[in-house]
Amino acid sequence: MTATSPTQAPSTAETVINNIKGTEEPEVADKGAETETETDADEFEDNGIIDHTTFDQLLEMDDEEDHEFSRSLVWNYFEQAEKTFVDMDDAMEKLDFPDLSRLGHFLKGSSAALGLTKVKESCEKLQHYGNRKDAAGVESITNDEAETLIRALLVQMRREYNEAESYLKVFYDGQE
Amino acid sequence: MSTLSLSSSHPSSPSPSSPSPSSPLSSSSCPSTFSMPMPASITPPGSPPSPTMSVDSIRGHNALRLDSPLELDQQRKTKVMIVDDNSINLSILSRMLEKHFTDIIQLTVVMTSGVEALQRLATEEFDLILMDIDMPVLTGVQTTVAIRQSTSEYPILKHNQSVPIIAVTTSDGAEQRELYQQVGMLDCVSKPIVLSKLRSAIEGAMKASR
Repeated sequence: MTATSPTQAPSTAETVINNIKGTEEPEVADKGAETETETDADEFEDNGIIDHTTFDQLLEMDDEEDHEFSRSLVWNYFEQAEKTFVDMDDAMEKLDFPDLSRLGHFLKGSSAALGLTKVKESCEKLQHYGNRKDAAGVESITNDEAETLIRALLVQMRREYNEAESYLKVFYDGQE
Repeated sequence: MSTLSLSSSHPSSPSPSSPSPSSPLSSSSCPSTFSMPMPASITPPGSPPSPTMSVDSIRGHNALRLDSPLELDQQRKTKVMIVDDNSINLSILSRMLEKHFTDIIQLTVVMTSGVEALQRLATEEFDLILMDIDMPVLTGVQTTVAIRQSTSEYPILKHNQSVPIIAVTTSDGAEQRELYQQVGMLDCVSKPIVLSKLRSAIEGAMKASR
């Protein structure tokens, strides 16, 4: 599925992001925004897509030789995430920052529960930006700054989600 | 047969969403509530055995008496309510309890909002509540306050007013934990949940409630 946010936004947003991010620590999620999406399976392991401690705990709850529980959970997550992205785009159209923050928090929870590290971190940023705070949730930012940051973040988040979705689909295809 | 009851919802839609049919918590034709059979390993709910109905008393044995309050309490398993607006989190936590806590948990009921939880607590007794914090309409903190205070708007059964409540949340900073304690929560388990920490919190809550 394609992102609906403007493709021109990131270059302007990156300038704003770099200006605001002066005191922020670099995060894995930011690397993802600046590089091409990797498709090699080996790269997935080192790209911080999945927190294996969390994901393995889910797999341990599957019945023996059957990944039906975790598989249906993951596919439920895909459905939930897709719907949440649509809601995020709708909220962005209306510049409804509180709603964007709430949606970020909501998806953060389930992303974290599945061990989807990058998506979870981006959701957390969305939660903060929607509250008109910086990525760490500490310093206040203006509405214009929040709008620019969120537009770029939605594109980044979608890319990270697609990466995680591909990884999980490859994983479960390999289990059949 | 004991059942896992669920009301499903999505954060932004006014009506409940429908997860995929293959989901453990997929909805039936009734969109707001549904039940699913518990695995055979979970014993069905029932009243604690009365003094006249214990097996040994029927058989006339002088063996273990199952009718003293302490023994009944030890035998009776825990009835748990999970409250979370995110169906993924509900699935994971209820599965954890099903897989790893059958020694102490008899039945798990899931609620997708604080309001639903309060309505259920007005009519049915529970032994433990696992409460999400960041929920729309009523947060976990607000729901806990309502449980402890039992207002006319949300009357709560007397037994439930002192039920142990454990926060299960990503909002787990020191200040927030202090707030949870102040409103009457016993403990806080961080998300994503680590099994050993969940067990420690649940066992601690059950000991504290005795």
